[in-house]
Amino acid sequence: MTIQQLIFIALAILVIGSALFVVTTSNLFRGALMLIVAFFGIAGFYVLLDNGLFAVAQVMIYIGAISILIIFSVMLTRGMQAMIPRNAQAGSVAIAAGLLFLILLLAFGPFRLVVDLSGVPVLATLFRTESPRVLGGLPWSFANREVPETYIADFGRALVDLNQFLLPFLLVAFLVDAVLAGAIYIARQRKPAEVIAEREAIAKEEAEEIAALQPQAASPALPQSAVASTAEH
Amino acid sequence: MNLQNTINGIPLEWYLIVAAALFSIGLYGVLARKNAVAMLMGVELMLNSVNLNLLAFWRYLAPESAAGLAFAAFVFVIAAAETAVGLALIIAVYRSLKSVDPETLTQLKL
Repeated sequence: MTIQQLIFIALAILVIGSALFVVTTSNLFRGALMLIVAFFGIAGFYVLLDNGLFAVAQVMIYIGAISILIIFSVMLTRGMQAMIPRNAQAGSVAIAAGLLFLILLLAFGPFRLVVDLSGVPVLATLFRTESPRVLGGLPWSFANREVPETYIADFGRALVDLNQFLLPFLLVAFLVDAVLAGAIYIARQRKPAEVIAEREAIAKEEAEEIAALQPQAASPALPQSAVASTAEH
Repeated sequence: MNLQNTINGIPLEWYLIVAAALFSIGLYGVLARKNAVAMLMGVELMLNSVNLNLLAFWRYLAPESAAGLAFAAFVFVIAAAETAVGLALIIAVYRSLKSVDPETLTQLKL
């Protein structure tokens, strides 16, 4: 057992445990704080994967930006005290999520039947780390390749390379622009007079619609009864 | 041919199992919660598990290619965008309805 394996297992317990807390707690604020712990664990996995760039990006984007946004919206929506944690479908959803995990486990996990490179079916196990595995005809055995030292520079060049990712990069930049403007527009604080005027306009429209739906029921009934009552007297 | 398929003793499958567990937990969070902010937290967990998968495959199968990194970076950016718009919508809905329970948002129902 290498030290990296121990670190991996500790990180896995941390991430899975805090993620379970996030989806089951009834205190949403604590859930948001545990979400930060889960994000930190994921950053640790990126370090284990020799990817310092994305570990730092994870800390900056997820912990520095997204978690803060989530915590602020928890506080702004006053939903953290005495929240009902689950809806009515929670039981069947739990079964479905567990089934999904089992299926994924059978596809990638221990005790699955795989074909090794010489074409012999073998029963792979979780801790048998030596045998080469095959997924969809591709051998999974390139582990002794090293990450090039210039991987950050290569990544940056690939993003602005016309033959690689320039177009998606520009599209994502445009998306982020639109999202910034849209989020500010949606969440802006509007003047009370503006809101009242809008609600009054909606109420007026609804009243008109209701009146348009039942013209025969409302208008002819009145004159008839009026006529009848005058005829009796 | 001496094929090693672990890095520092960790096989790729370990990452896949952790990512699968994280995805299932996030899916449960999205479907079983009664609060829109909590549902967004579940979405974040699912996006993180996808990113973990992408970077694990990048490290084990194609560390010299930038494709895995680029896809993971796009997932990052789109997750941030989705959170910003989602939370703005939740706050706008909360202002007018005083509730963040998705089951109360029935105004578009016929």
